[in-house]
Amino acid sequence: MTETTLNIEGLKTYFFTEAGIVKAVDGISFNLKKGESLGLVGESGSGKTVTALSVLRIVPKPGRIIDGKVEFNGDDLFKKTEKEMRRIRGSEIAIIFQDPSSSLNPVYNVETQLRDVIIAHQNIPKKEARKKLIELLETVELPDAETRMREYPHQFSGGMKQRVAIARALALEPTLLFADEPTTNLDVTIQAQVLDLLNDLKKRFGMSLVMITHDMGIIAKMTTRVVVLYAGRVCEIAKTYDLFERPRHPYTEALLAAVPRLDRRKTLRVIPGNIPNLIEPPTGCRFHPRCNYATQTCKEDIPVLEEIEPEHFVACHEWRNISLKGERSH
Amino acid sequence: MAKHQLKGRKKPLTSRDLIEVKDLVKYFPIYSRGVLLKKQVGIVHAVDNIDFNIKRKETFGLVGESGCGKTTTARLILNLIDPTSGEVFFDGENIFEKFQSANKEEKLKLRRKMQLIFQNPYGSLDPRMTVFDIISEPFIIHKHIPKSQWKEKVYELLELVGLEEYHAERYPHEFSGGQRQRICIARALAVEPEFLIADEPVSSLDVSIRAQILNLLGELQERVGLTYLYISHDLSSVRQISHRVAVMYLGEIVELADTDELFKEPLHPYTTALVQAVPIPDPKAKSMKIILPGEVPSPINPPSGCRFHPRCPQAKPICREKKPELLLAKPKHTVACHLDS
Amino acid sequence: MASNKKEEKPKEKPKRRSAGQWAVAWRRFQRNKAGVFGLIIVMAVFFVGIFGSFFAPYPARPDTGAYAPFYEKPSQVRKPPSWLDPEQPNKWKYLFGTTPIGTDVFSDVIHGTKYTIYVGLVVTIITMALSIVVGAIAGFYGRWVDNLLMRTAEVFLVFPSLLFILVFVRIFTLTVGEPFWTIPIVNVQIPAGLTIVILILALFNWASNARMIRGEFLRVRELEFIEAERALGASNIRIIFRHILPNLLSSVIVVSTLTIAYAILLEAAVSFLGFGDVNTITWGQILQENFSEMRTVWWAEIFPGIAILLTVFGFNLLGDGLSDALNPRLRE
Repeated sequence: MTETTLNIEGLKTYFFTEAGIVKAVDGISFNLKKGESLGLVGESGSGKTVTALSVLRIVPKPGRIIDGKVEFNGDDLFKKTEKEMRRIRGSEIAIIFQDPSSSLNPVYNVETQLRDVIIAHQNIPKKEARKKLIELLETVELPDAETRMREYPHQFSGGMKQRVAIARALALEPTLLFADEPTTNLDVTIQAQVLDLLNDLKKRFGMSLVMITHDMGIIAKMTTRVVVLYAGRVCEIAKTYDLFERPRHPYTEALLAAVPRLDRRKTLRVIPGNIPNLIEPPTGCRFHPRCNYATQTCKEDIPVLEEIEPEHFVACHEWRNISLKGERSH
Repeated sequence: MAKHQLKGRKKPLTSRDLIEVKDLVKYFPIYSRGVLLKKQVGIVHAVDNIDFNIKRKETFGLVGESGCGKTTTARLILNLIDPTSGEVFFDGENIFEKFQSANKEEKLKLRRKMQLIFQNPYGSLDPRMTVFDIISEPFIIHKHIPKSQWKEKVYELLELVGLEEYHAERYPHEFSGGQRQRICIARALAVEPEFLIADEPVSSLDVSIRAQILNLLGELQERVGLTYLYISHDLSSVRQISHRVAVMYLGEIVELADTDELFKEPLHPYTTALVQAVPIPDPKAKSMKIILPGEVPSPINPPSGCRFHPRCPQAKPICREKKPELLLAKPKHTVACHLDS
Repeated sequence: MASNKKEEKPKEKPKRRSAGQWAVAWRRFQRNKAGVFGLIIVMAVFFVGIFGSFFAPYPARPDTGAYAPFYEKPSQVRKPPSWLDPEQPNKWKYLFGTTPIGTDVFSDVIHGTKYTIYVGLVVTIITMALSIVVGAIAGFYGRWVDNLLMRTAEVFLVFPSLLFILVFVRIFTLTVGEPFWTIPIVNVQIPAGLTIVILILALFNWASNARMIRGEFLRVRELEFIEAERALGASNIRIIFRHILPNLLSSVIVVSTLTIAYAILLEAAVSFLGFGDVNTITWGQILQENFSEMRTVWWAEIFPGIAILLTVFGFNLLGDGLSDALNPRLRE
């Protein structure tokens, strides 16, 4: 029985804005096993980024975590003090973001930034930190690491900046890494390099990885289990293979059908409507206005996650009555 | 709720070429700032001698990574920037000559024939105008619709792109990204163009909305008879809606073929790497074999000979010395590579 | 097309709050207490300036001649504010006291308000008109035009403005004969000396605003919708007037408010230093007249000073409030 690294239960994070309360995360539950690659997939407004920020407790104002429990290796993270959290951030749980240009400080060179991270958590002499740094940069395959680390972020290309960001995240060898759309801004060929690198590093460092993305191709390639989010709630959790082969939530099915693939043409199915407004989200199941199978219950009651097969959870009132097509049937 | 299907297969076309691009070149000079004067210190070879044709009612896809020159190409065709050299013909007329010498009326008429849809629907609409103002502004500029018919025409265009009449009184910020893109399309259609350049029209939209817009573009092509130049770095969507595709690398076209042919049997090593780098949304699909090393080089100092040679897994000595020409390797399939000659 | 239409149910039609840029900004402004406070002050100043002559306790001084003899008896000079004066039975007689020449400070302040407004508005109008034209031309055409205009602006910025203002004002006031000019068609009299001060102030103020406008112009010009307009075939004129300038309007409004404040303060300084028009009793002029006896007749200096302070403060708060409310990016 593999141990659970991360366990999230009923997480609710709201943003208290001038325009109203944005219910960005409204009851999300899932877990991550040790050494696993878990995909967190959803479109904008699904709450995937806010979930990661909530775990690390770095949700920006006017956001606030108002409910839920997050356990990391058994420890309740919401019960920790800020000081304890600071120790955990970076050294045990790390995160890399979509835009490396804004997550790297433009006024410090790479060496300084990475060294600061190491020294903040470990008390080792500068020389030793520097050696570690060079090793780290070589691990992320940054060419000419020793000379280039004296350069500034703006002197690097997008792909290399992301490698530096990865190096920074891994400097303290965390056990859990959140990767929030790390390749969305990168060119296709560079994306392939970075994804490959992430896979490599994960194996080498023995980390658990949460891959946050909207790209179903990346999910298929990088993850073994997937959590599908829509408008702040969980729709479906399943092993990646099962999700593509036998989706049980209408949103999952629609998402798979709407995405074109490169190896063959298929008929693209359109999901009508738009992603809902999170200040006044639809009642009951948030997907019901766009769902082909919605009934009156769907409008009124919030569906609960049920385990309908081993390791396959769905939050849908109608799952028994509908038969959905997987990726191969299109 | 009827399911909307985007047809996979497109029928072959038989019409004459609408767009002809010949030896198009665009270099941007780079200056270093002195106290009063600037000195030119380098050149960005944004577009370096490209040739291609687009047939009527065809969707021509242009793919490439950042810095390859595809967006610059779009702006050149529309004459939003001036070319360094080369020609573009629209239905037989030389566009650049027209824009230089013709009078205002002729220029406006030419403008009407081709339009552009941008990547960023958030920036491409004036936030201070209502949707009605935005869509009817072309009527003011081109004067092709009398004022009495404006309301009717605006509503017609809104319906064409799948929006409602009451949307006309609203402001851009009240709409989602997908809806804004529809407004952009409606505005482009207001001048009744024959040719539409879509520059990454769905890249900044959510996944579930992309299919809506791609679908809409396909429908409009059938309903209105439009010709498209579809520019994107997202190969999957290019495969989905294009009839023919050209692959650009560092300002040059390296391969051009019918869509299915290009993606099933790419001949140029870059195209192969590109195709293999795209993750397929299917865990059973074969994973990639080749990962292209190195970075996308800068167009300021492009490599000698074949510009791809530093990253090419199959490079030979000749690739560094001589630039390969775009030649027919198979029927309707051109490639610029020494390996295929 | 049916499924595409399903996006919003027809019941979406009901009345909504107007979402135009001004309506949204007004609502946002109302929530900013400091800004609203500033607005109240500004409105009060305008009110006093326009209607002041009707409710001031004492009439304005005659306009020609400097220290004309005064309305009350000489025994009324240097009287402290009546509510502080044990000897004065009528606590409302001289609210701000009297000056060494026997004028009522309160009335002086009230009558001076119209000049304050005149200065503030005219300087700002001239400055902004110049700045917008220069900034727009520089921003739109770029290259050598931009270079030329901006270097010219920098010349104006480099000189110590106060010094030059004082010098120029003195030179020009000496060459002007009569104290009044008449505007031909409307036959309105304007104070010559003060107008000269105004023109000089505008001359040394346009440069910094022009740079700001140019910066904003450049920013808006690079926005994508401008390129879209060009692709549609819109002419340059149309693009500038219909698209770029309106998007600058918010910055222009905010800067104008702050320019008004700055102009008022600057005029007060010029007059206080003795370079103003002695025939026009602006607040700064009052300060100048009563400065020598400030030690004893402090009320004649303090109250006009507070008036200046409050007014400038009010315009600044208003400008700040407008700046927050008009934040041009209508959030997505």
